[in-house]
Amino acid sequence: MISTATNELANPANPAGGLVLAAEEIKPGEHWTAELFGLTFNVDTILGTLIAGAIVCGLGLYMASRATAGRPSKLQLLFEMLVSWVREQIQDGMGVRAPRGVVELCMTLFVFILIANWLAVLPSENVIPPPTADVNLVYPMALLVIVWVNVAGIRHKGAKHYFAHFTEPYAFLAPIEVITQYFSRPVSLALRLFGNIFAGGVMIGVIGQLPFYVLWLPNMAWKLFDMFIGAIQALIFTLLAIIYFSEAVGSDDEAAAH
Amino acid sequence: MSTTVLAQETNNFLLPNATFFAELFGFLLILFVFWRYIIPPLSKSLRERQDMVQKQVEDAEEAQRKLKQAEQRYDQALAEARTEAAKIRDSARADSERIREELREQAKAEVERIRQRGEEQLATQRDQVVRQLRGELGGLALQLAERLVGQHLANDDHQRATVDAFLAELDAAPSDKAGERASSAAASRRAG
Repeated sequence: MISTATNELANPANPAGGLVLAAEEIKPGEHWTAELFGLTFNVDTILGTLIAGAIVCGLGLYMASRATAGRPSKLQLLFEMLVSWVREQIQDGMGVRAPRGVVELCMTLFVFILIANWLAVLPSENVIPPPTADVNLVYPMALLVIVWVNVAGIRHKGAKHYFAHFTEPYAFLAPIEVITQYFSRPVSLALRLFGNIFAGGVMIGVIGQLPFYVLWLPNMAWKLFDMFIGAIQALIFTLLAIIYFSEAVGSDDEAAAH
Repeated sequence: MSTTVLAQETNNFLLPNATFFAELFGFLLILFVFWRYIIPPLSKSLRERQDMVQKQVEDAEEAQRKLKQAEQRYDQALAEARTEAAKIRDSARADSERIREELREQAKAEVERIRQRGEEQLATQRDQVVRQLRGELGGLALQLAERLVGQHLANDDHQRATVDAFLAELDAAPSDKAGERASSAAASRRAG
């Protein structure tokens, strides 16, 4: 059984294939797909995004419809805590120069990524994995952040000044700066989140290979740890976005210091 | 729309497919909901809460200030009242002293007046008695003299001397005992 699985699923694009694919049930990077207008869509990722989005928006709208200054509910306090924290981080990084919408973007990023990551805790993780374990979600988010950062920087400093600061302090380092700005950062931002959550799913798959009478303990332990990882990754993604924004709109001193 | 489990050998899970656009759209939708419907009321209530807290702090400071003022006023009023009370007490004491003094003076004057009147009365009565006695004693002396004429007629001078001495004695005696003396003197003279 194991040998057939190896033969079936051996994947030249997967360097770890020989080890990970030794078991039939572990199929990293496989998705339920649907073809529409000749395009391939990952149904499970879209469903996961819809569920996470529905939870986040539902809680948010429910909270917002009952938001009061006088006697806030616990949910409202939670949201207020988050938005205050995000605002504080942005104020620390950018002060009054904070571009419009950054608070909203970072708040949305944090809450959505957090809830999306925590979908991994549900026992349905085989059917609907956390959408952040699919590059199709993390790439657009990272892309959005990088594009927004550049737009904010150009609008704040002017295109000439903004691009000129790539050549500072040494003009010959400008290519490295450009690569960092437009390749390393978006890719690392996206793949850090993807990798962590994806690995969580793989771990669950590996633990699933254990006999059922011992599997529950490491499964439970891992899911608790996965919640922690999910929270940390949401935090890191949001903090890095804020740092990129503050670099883009920050003073020349701050920009040169990085 | 057919659903199949992807098992293509060429698939690399690091490469996105068309889901990319669906996810981008989905995330932008969530961002829109947050931006438009969730963050504004949240910020509004946060701002209101901050205003409320600030107002409460200001109110508390105001109340504190008012309390201090009221305490000052109270202390001031208390001190004033104490001074007033002391003043009233002092004046009352002075009044009582004055009234007592007045009453004492009045009483003394009354006593004096009563004593004076008593003395005057006594003097009047004495005079009256003396006058009466003088009037009566003349007669009595004459009667006595007439009775004694038999014994003393021989000597007119003796008789006059006797009467004069008798009258002088009466004059000298205190008014209240004049009669008694006079009668006793007369009796002794009669006996003599």
